[in-house]
Amino acid sequence: MKMQIAINRRLQVSPLVAVLLTLMGIAFVVAMVRYIYGIGAISNLSNSYPWGFWISFDLFTGVAISSGGFLMAATVYIFELKQFKPLLRPSILTAFLGYIMVVIALLVDLGHPERIWYMMIHMNPTSVLLEIGICVMTYLTVLAIEFAPVVFEGIKWQKFAHFIHRFIMPFVILGVVLSTLHQSSLGSLLLIQPAKLYPLWWTPILPILFFVSAVSIGLSMIILESSLSARYFHRGLETHLLEKLAGVIPIVVGTYLIIRFAQLGLAGDYKYLFSSGLMSVLFWTEILVGSVFPLVYFSFRKNRQSANGLLFGAIVVLLGMILNRFDVSWFAVRHPDPLTYLPTFMSGAHYVPSLPEVAVSLGIFSAGILAFGLAAKYLPVFEEEEPHAEKL
Amino acid sequence: MTDIQHKAFLFDATRCIDCRACMVACSVENKIDMDKTRIWVAGVGLIGQYPELKRASMVYHCMHCNEPDCLSACPVGAYSKRNDGPVLYNKDKCIGCRYCMNACPFGVPHFDWDKGLIDGAFIDKCTMCPQRIDKGLEPACVATCPTDALVFGERADLVKEAHARIQAHPERYVDHVYGEFENGGTSYLILSHVPFAELGLPNLGERPVKDVSEKVMEITIPFALGWGTVLTGTAVAVHLLNQKKAAKAKKVEEEQTEEAVK
Amino acid sequence: MPNTLSRRDFLKVGGAAVGALALSEFIPPRVAEAARVSGLLDSTSSGYIPTMCEMCVWRCGVLAKVEDGRVVKLEGNPGHPHSNGNLCPRGQSGLMNTYDPDRVLTPLIRVGKRGEGKFRKASWEEALDVVAKNMLKIKDKYGAEAMIFSSTHNLSQVQFENLLNAFGSPNYGTQRSLCFNAMIVSNLMTYGMEEPDRSYENLKYIILTGRNLMEAISTSETSALSKAIDRGAKVVSLDPRFTKTAAKSTEWLAIRPGTDSAFHLALLNVIISEGLYNAGFVANSTTGFDKVAASVVSYTPEWAAAITEIPAETIRRIAREFAAAAPYALAHNGWRTSNFVNSFQTERAIGVLNAIVGNWGTAMSAASGEESGGLGAPPQPAYPRISAQRLDGVPWKYPFVPLKIGVFQELREAALSGDPYQPHGWFIARQNPAMSLPDRGRTLQAFGKMDFIVTIDIIMNDTSWFSDVVLPEASYLERYDPLNIVGDKAYLRQPVIEAQGEGKSALWIYKELGARLGLADFFQYTDEEDYLKQQLAPLGVSLDEVRQKGYAQLPGESGESPELNWNTPSGKIELFSSSLDRAGFSGVPQWEEPPAPKPGQFYFLTGKVAQSTQFGTQNNQLLHKYSDEPRLWMNTAIAKGLGLADNDLVEVASTAGKIHIKLEATQAIRPDCVYLTPGYGHLSKGLTTAYGWGASDSDVHVTYTDPISGSQALSQTFVTVKKI
Ligand SMILES: Nc1nc2c(c(=O)[nH]1)N[C@H]1C(S)=C(S)[C@@H](COP(=O)(O)OP(=O)(O)OC[C@H]3O[C@@H](n4cnc5c(=O)[nH]c(N)nc54)[C@H](O)[C@@H]3O)O[C@H]1N2
Ligand SMILES: Nc1nc2c(c(=O)[nH]1)N[C@H]1C(S)=C(S)[C@@H](COP(=O)(O)OP(=O)(O)OC[C@H]3O[C@@H](n4cnc5c(=O)[nH]c(N)nc54)[C@H](O)[C@@H]3O)O[C@H]1N2
Ligand code: SF4
Ligand code: SF4
Ligand code: SF4
Ligand code: SF4
Ligand code: SF4
Ligand SMILES: [Mo]
Repeated sequence: MKMQIAINRRLQVSPLVAVLLTLMGIAFVVAMVRYIYGIGAISNLSNSYPWGFWISFDLFTGVAISSGGFLMAATVYIFELKQFKPLLRPSILTAFLGYIMVVIALLVDLGHPERIWYMMIHMNPTSVLLEIGICVMTYLTVLAIEFAPVVFEGIKWQKFAHFIHRFIMPFVILGVVLSTLHQSSLGSLLLIQPAKLYPLWWTPILPILFFVSAVSIGLSMIILESSLSARYFHRGLETHLLEKLAGVIPIVVGTYLIIRFAQLGLAGDYKYLFSSGLMSVLFWTEILVGSVFPLVYFSFRKNRQSANGLLFGAIVVLLGMILNRFDVSWFAVRHPDPLTYLPTFMSGAHYVPSLPEVAVSLGIFSAGILAFGLAAKYLPVFEEEEPHAEKL
Repeated sequence: MTDIQHKAFLFDATRCIDCRACMVACSVENKIDMDKTRIWVAGVGLIGQYPELKRASMVYHCMHCNEPDCLSACPVGAYSKRNDGPVLYNKDKCIGCRYCMNACPFGVPHFDWDKGLIDGAFIDKCTMCPQRIDKGLEPACVATCPTDALVFGERADLVKEAHARIQAHPERYVDHVYGEFENGGTSYLILSHVPFAELGLPNLGERPVKDVSEKVMEITIPFALGWGTVLTGTAVAVHLLNQKKAAKAKKVEEEQTEEAVK
Repeated sequence: MPNTLSRRDFLKVGGAAVGALALSEFIPPRVAEAARVSGLLDSTSSGYIPTMCEMCVWRCGVLAKVEDGRVVKLEGNPGHPHSNGNLCPRGQSGLMNTYDPDRVLTPLIRVGKRGEGKFRKASWEEALDVVAKNMLKIKDKYGAEAMIFSSTHNLSQVQFENLLNAFGSPNYGTQRSLCFNAMIVSNLMTYGMEEPDRSYENLKYIILTGRNLMEAISTSETSALSKAIDRGAKVVSLDPRFTKTAAKSTEWLAIRPGTDSAFHLALLNVIISEGLYNAGFVANSTTGFDKVAASVVSYTPEWAAAITEIPAETIRRIAREFAAAAPYALAHNGWRTSNFVNSFQTERAIGVLNAIVGNWGTAMSAASGEESGGLGAPPQPAYPRISAQRLDGVPWKYPFVPLKIGVFQELREAALSGDPYQPHGWFIARQNPAMSLPDRGRTLQAFGKMDFIVTIDIIMNDTSWFSDVVLPEASYLERYDPLNIVGDKAYLRQPVIEAQGEGKSALWIYKELGARLGLADFFQYTDEEDYLKQQLAPLGVSLDEVRQKGYAQLPGESGESPELNWNTPSGKIELFSSSLDRAGFSGVPQWEEPPAPKPGQFYFLTGKVAQSTQFGTQNNQLLHKYSDEPRLWMNTAIAKGLGLADNDLVEVASTAGKIHIKLEATQAIRPDCVYLTPGYGHLSKGLTTAYGWGASDSDVHVTYTDPISGSQALSQTFVTVKKI
């Protein structure tokens, strides 16, 4: 039976694999150019736009969509809702790969990738970026540990698998703490830009907003990723589980909406809601698509019960919430344009990512998908019977 | 903030003739690449309609904030502030993340976009010429200014001087010394005959922009510990609860079998 | 703002760090030694060495900053009256001129066609022999007068003049007729001196007639004006453009080009008719007041308003304010007054204006003069008598123009017409006539008429590009020059960097060439240091002392200005000039209607920017770095009307020629004028930074010469502008 599936898989994905490999190839070449001739050689980043597509997509989006890992870990291990176990490994895997992708992207974006470890030896306690750096690196290790059993089982080293399982709890808790921290801290990262980030987005409670939205993103990712893999790998889809998750989404986005509008109200920023042109448009798109829609949509049981309904809903949530990440880290940031005579030095406040820039992110993303496919193919990521259930 | 005891610049836009001697001087003094600069002209240039015209330009470089946001933001502590004023950058620590550029509300730090791994891409910004002021000299840009549009000295004195100039010629100046309080006070004080926005200066409050983010960072570790404890607690509680449930279930089962036996 | 350097342009100069360039050469041992003795250099060979800027003719005192025996930066010398510790952007960039990768560092001899730019390196021996051979050939064939000598004012000019006088040619061209002849000749007529000194200390009122001091910088005078403004002095700026000076002035009057004399004549009218003049001073120190009074009756503010487009009441008010502020008032006589053929009348009116309100002794005083000071000089035999008349019409056509000043553009015209006779050779030093003379096309034709052209320069300037031999002078930081007298001191230029390549001082070049021309007796100094020692001999100070201080104190109490006596025929300030009258010109300043543009044409204005000097610094990478891209200014409203937008490429055409240049629509210029920054649009491909940047207004300028002062009228060119 496994054999059978294997064949199907190959037939299914090989053209896709070809595409993915090409994208990775391109990204690699671009990265080399960047390492030799500098970031300016391949990107449109400038002194007035020091951060761009990479940060918004690879860091902000990448981290957010990896939040499924800690959610499932918490659900299964801390709340012992064992019925969700089948979703555990896939989401841990997604998270694991997600964070690896983030780090790889950073290695392209950093001026001195070879010094990334300096964060461990020169620590500036007031820097939000430091916190994120440390959290991401540590959490990556935790994820590695959480995922290790799957690998060991894959290579039939059951003993090790058992061993790790015995001590998994502290890591799970550490993982959840770290995730809570850096998911929210991505929001804190922008707290230092009150003068640059548009008032519809800048608020002292950015971290809270980021955390709540991260939960909705995580849930939607789990739905998305299970649905897709079910489609590709011809597995039964745990619709009954996904329905439960989808059921939580309205609560989460509801809370999000309440907090966000309450904050805007208290800050007296309602005046910007409709008066800010493009900013208003962005704001409302993100709110309607990412929060209001799911609030309504997932309140209907039939949407939650149909495989297609779930998939569609999840995708919409993700689009809306990812737009939020782009707004906060790019679209809604007004960089200083000191009206200079000599813009060669402060090259205007305009930025559109260059193709090579996007190519890098695409390449890394492709690598992620490919890795997921391989893992799913050679490791017991989706195996129905989870041998150590008892030992929990 | 007027009590801060250290060096500062006073720039007077009514005096600056936009000759750029200061910029050339900086490039030579600090051996800046031909396609880079630490100091540049900002401002709208011309204001008004012919023949009712004004010129508005200022010389722009690091404000040497009394509470530097760049310094607060840098993950690896590449920035430092000297007691006597200069905010300095240490290339040996820099990892090139460019968060300082996002943090600085004035867009001062610049990055080597044209440098790869071999040359090493770094941040550059005005240093207040420590190599000169330590010898009792004025910074290169100040020293050469033919109109004294740029002057250098003790911040407290310059604040006084600035207000004195406004008093002496109220008709000539906007009645405000930019940088006296902005962003927690800067060591680059600015006098102008036009609204400061026309000089390309951001409209900032008295608290530095890093304020909130630093407060959040302060509560991070306590929060982490607290959150960790809560989670552990929950985990243990849930586990015990489930064990109880399981035990109960077992008992009921046993009883039932007993019944059956009887 | 769009008026900037493009990235493309930056790639060209990008990369190179100033430091890397400024660290290659060492200080001449003797100079370093002197500085060590005086403690200017410490044990680690770090410190300062005094010398002098030559990025423009103001010659500010410089302290060359030395680290580990190398010059790393130039600083203004606080002890020098022209810098007071400051340097302008050009002065600051001086090292980059010396280390310009395009420097000419060996003598060059042309191999390709003229203007092809093909040269071969040559030894000084060979190059000087070639020059001497050709000069002598021309002398034998056509007489010494067939050699033109032209040079722009510089410290070794004395020996340049020595060379041409000894060689026996009367044909001497300087930049002055393109610059300030109108002002100089007018001052000579009125005050009997080329240019009275100005002092801003106590000034309450200043009228600037096209003197753009905040951009056409003379460091000390620029800061003096700035400080006067800070003190609250009132400044009225007459300029068709809203210059950076106009922006600092209390009042900007966008006067119609060429009508400044009407404005000033109206001021005279008001001040005299309302009796606001200083009767005492007029009576004691001037002549011809009544004639002036009579002549200005018709020049009412109402009359002037129609001509200048400045309201009558404004003129009247300014006249009263000016008179009230006198004697602490100044009508600035300008500098580059070569604007219209009537500019001489403007200058006369200004001279008379300052005189009748009695500004003498407060705002103006007798010039200390450059020749004074009792310095020594090498012994000199008598020069050969010169019978040939001068090609530039001095004095036979221009009786009032001093021989040392001349009418440069007329020299070129004579070369083209062969009238009164044909010159065959051109010896050019520190000058770029291919750019500075109006109508570049004609200048290049004139080059074509020459059997032989030799240029002494530091870079491959446009004139060198068309020369047969190029002789490389050491830069001003690499050589000695004769002493420069400012006030009661004689300042020293000394080398702070060992000459690179084969560069030699002009003093050396003239002496060596003189020897080859058989004129050795006229150059009785062994080398530069010997020359300076002979200059210093009468003062009894050693060269080393001067090296240490950077200057020699001249005899006579310091500071105190010479007696108020005017070197005019009457010995007084001549409001009415009998000499002018006798020569058939108006003895009093009078209105002469200048030509005006026809419909569809614009006045074509020129004017300096702070980041370049004339035609010689555009290749300086540091100045290039901080310069705005030169574009054609046109009033925004007019541009809109013509359907022109910023950065459109336009064709600017006059009867003389056409150029293509980007447009800059700006509020800062009169609707009937356009303006272009001079000095760009170089022909020489040997200027890798400047070549291909901007366009040359000299291509478009038409040659008009003021019959009295010989001044070229640079604003009298009218152009059409169309999109291409
Ligand atoms: N940065 C810099 N400084 C310099 C020089 C340089 O090349 N660069 N050169 C030095 C030399 S050699 C000289 S001669 C001086 C020259 O210094 P200035 O005398 O200031 O001469 P420009 O700047 O050539 O022209 C001054 C102004 O005259 C205006 N103008 C043109 N036509 C008319 C007119 O008909 N009436 C009036 N009222 N104004 C008119 C122009 O718009 C211009 O702004 O600068 C000296 N200083
Ligand atoms: N269109 C237009 N024409 C003008 C003017 C204008 O504003 N616009 N201005 C007029 C005025 S005010 C003037 S004064 C004249 C100036 O006219 P010029 O004197 O002909 O022009 P400069 O650029 O001053 O010439 C200086 C030359 O000396 C060279 N040089 C620099 N340093 C040294 C050195 O140390 N030794 C030697 N041997 N050469 C050196 C430079 O490379 C340059 O080629 O131009 C006049 N012509
Ligand atoms: S040197 Fe002085 S006047 Fe010139 S641009 Fe700089 S500040 Fe302004
Ligand atoms: S201006 Fe910017 S770079 Fe300079 S100290 Fe302030 S925050 Fe730092
Ligand atoms: S770029 Fe360098 S200096 Fe700036 S924040 Fe990052 S590490 Fe610190
Ligand atoms: S203080 Fe020094 S580094 Fe800063 S702009 Fe002035 S010269 Fe440059
Ligand atoms: S004015 Fe500027 S260029 Fe001219 S001598 Fe002085 S510093 Fe040098
Ligand atoms: Mo001049």
